[in-house]
Amino acid sequence: MSLLRHTVLGLLFALTTGCRSEPAPEGITVLVEAPPDSLDDRFALTATGQRIAQLIAPGLLTFDDTSRPVPALAESFQALSPTLMEFTLRPGLTFHDGTALTAEDVKATYDGVRSKALQSPKADRYAPVEEVEVVDDRTVRFHLRRPYSPLLAELTLSIVPAERAGPESVALQASHPVGAGAFRFEAQPDEEHLTLVPFEGYYEGPPAIPRLSFRVVRDETTRVLELLKGRADLVTNAVSPAVLPLLRKEPGLRVLVRPGTGYAYLGFNLRSGPLADERVRRAVCHLLEVKPVVEHKFHGLAEPATGMLPGTHWAYTPGEGCRYDPAEAARLLDAAGYVDPDGPGGQPRLRLSLKVSTDRFRKSVALVLQEQLARGGVAVEVRSLEFGTLFNDIRRGNFEMVTLKWASVIEPDLMRNVYHSKNVPTEENHWGGLNRGALKDAALDALLEEASRVELSGRKAIYARAQARLDALLPYAPLWHESSVAVVSRRLEGFEPSAHGFLSSLARARKVEP
Amino acid sequence: MRRGVSAGIAVVGALLLISLFLNLVPGDPIDVMLGEQASEVDREALRHAVGMDQAWYAQLWTFSKDFATGELRTSLPPFQKKVLPAIGEALPKTLQLTVASLLIAVGLAIPLGVAAAARKGTAVDSAAMGVAVAGVALPRFWLGPMLIIVFALWLDWLPVSGAESWSHLVLPSVTLGTALAAFLSRMTRAAMLETLREDFVTVARAKGLHPRVVLWKHAFRNALLPILTVLGLEFGTLLGGAIVTEKVFAWPGMGTLLLTAIEKRDYNTVRATVLMFTLCYVIVNTLTDVAYALVDPRVRRRS
Repeated sequence: MSLLRHTVLGLLFALTTGCRSEPAPEGITVLVEAPPDSLDDRFALTATGQRIAQLIAPGLLTFDDTSRPVPALAESFQALSPTLMEFTLRPGLTFHDGTALTAEDVKATYDGVRSKALQSPKADRYAPVEEVEVVDDRTVRFHLRRPYSPLLAELTLSIVPAERAGPESVALQASHPVGAGAFRFEAQPDEEHLTLVPFEGYYEGPPAIPRLSFRVVRDETTRVLELLKGRADLVTNAVSPAVLPLLRKEPGLRVLVRPGTGYAYLGFNLRSGPLADERVRRAVCHLLEVKPVVEHKFHGLAEPATGMLPGTHWAYTPGEGCRYDPAEAARLLDAAGYVDPDGPGGQPRLRLSLKVSTDRFRKSVALVLQEQLARGGVAVEVRSLEFGTLFNDIRRGNFEMVTLKWASVIEPDLMRNVYHSKNVPTEENHWGGLNRGALKDAALDALLEEASRVELSGRKAIYARAQARLDALLPYAPLWHESSVAVVSRRLEGFEPSAHGFLSSLARARKVEP
Repeated sequence: MRRGVSAGIAVVGALLLISLFLNLVPGDPIDVMLGEQASEVDREALRHAVGMDQAWYAQLWTFSKDFATGELRTSLPPFQKKVLPAIGEALPKTLQLTVASLLIAVGLAIPLGVAAAARKGTAVDSAAMGVAVAGVALPRFWLGPMLIIVFALWLDWLPVSGAESWSHLVLPSVTLGTALAAFLSRMTRAAMLETLREDFVTVARAKGLHPRVVLWKHAFRNALLPILTVLGLEFGTLLGGAIVTEKVFAWPGMGTLLLTAIEKRDYNTVRATVLMFTLCYVIVNTLTDVAYALVDPRVRRRS
């Protein structure tokens, strides 16, 4: 009996000592939705993985908020000819282990990632590179097989020390990554925790944050509660718009917003059925009212889209998007032979199906679109499918309409992947083509090919012409670009959210005691 | 002996199911693994690397062999870590959580149920059973955040989430244990009411024994059998509930491991985790059978 009593007392004591309000954790704590898939940028495919990997090991270039490639480890870069690019490294770059970062490391990194032996999922992106040439310690040249300006967008790849560039060091670089970034890897005790510390030798000077901890909290409510409790300092793009008004009222928190680069769209299948008719696609487009969705579903945290590129993008040209015009929609449907059998309401003019993922938010948005189209006499059956099935269906052309989003549109060459007639999914490309609506237009093909060949400065004008052609063909009804949102505690000062959700400004942020 | 055989059959059945489920998923699992953007990766190489170019029985054999020998690795190359060490870290965490919630459930339910039965029809009974109904009805994904708001935000007694100290265990185990406590207290009450009507209880009372001795020593011991049955069966529910609870409280147990593996399309870890869940369930059920014999001499004699 006395043993039992002692145990109970001991337990109670343990609890009460544990109950004392804990001190705030040292440094800055970032909450993420899921663990990074890899800390090595050469293998990371998820957003979390890539962002953390870039903090540890940046690449030659990065992007500014207009998605223009800007120097990172490189001090400058120039195209010597359409097939030759030259990069000059910043002086005095060092890796976390103290060794110098030279052109040899750059070459080794790119030779490594392009080799079959490394098995990097990103190898194909560098297929246009013929050779990487070391000119001197600080100068490196990329020789291309053919003019291919979108390559710049792929040169953000983390530079790793030459001795870690090969397949034999993959495991080491994944568990104890080394780079030349602002933060140095300290520990990753388990999948759910990761700590980084400032790198004294960082080229912009050591960061002021004493320690950077990443913690995985899967549940959105719990992330919000941790922020409210003051045990977390930063959450980027992992709190839904509906909660933000509440967080804005919190004195200990700030909500920072930037226009984002994701692109949500309503995709049409042009292979057959009513939507093969351009007039029907245009009618659907005119029936969509994007503004109320943006205002009520996103609480203003999205911008109506006029095309794939957001308004802040360097290659953006203003356009109209889907103008809400039910009268014009009715006229177009009449002309296409879909007359209203019994006036407004009652029987629909035509029936279409819309496929969507099982995500609750996406489904609720699909229901709004359904309602909007129903008002114009277009009955829509919304079918919510598990990801594997949805993905399989749209690749095999087994859909009429689908709503999806491109997570991040940085390089406009994505348009070539998505709209070029060569990229219709077929047996030949293992059903991997991204032109799932099977748009085929020779004029557009030519424009998109040209845009990938010319230099950066000449590309914008060509994309403007391509966008005009897309407005006429209407393979997608553009919906919106979701904003990039960061919730930041008062302890974290100087953090600038990025359009792409990058964390790089943590290098310039500092921790203050409020 | 018979128990051992049926436990073995259950494990083999589960193994078959979780190995076949890959082939039942619509679409090509390789596509799902590679995701949308990485479409040009060599599919055949991946198919070969994860052994999906083999027949299902060969896959099943490889999986079982690797699992048994501890050689099982995560599915996706090139970081093929061993799976068992990850389970070795996560399993104690989940057991810690489930055992704590089991203790909370038993600690709450039995006094509550016995008290309700002893004072049947009184305010004590109605209050206890009212609480029990509420406990069964509250979903964990709601109860968890509510407890966090009250105890972590308002009162500032406990942390919101994580698993760094003992204080982190309190809220998740209460969240997980509440439903079981509620169900168990109703079960206890029913079982107690039944035994209290038995002749031997009347005899005990007639002998002039103290009411508390009658209640706990005579009636309760006999009511334990159905309570144990429920406990054994409900342990499975507890394991299932642990997945939700671990997500809410960012608790690094088997549920978290399973969710991460599903996100990463790491089928070997998914299979291994589900198999571990099954094993736990089977073991607990076997232990329940053994406990019967300990508690009830009649069962001991029959077997």
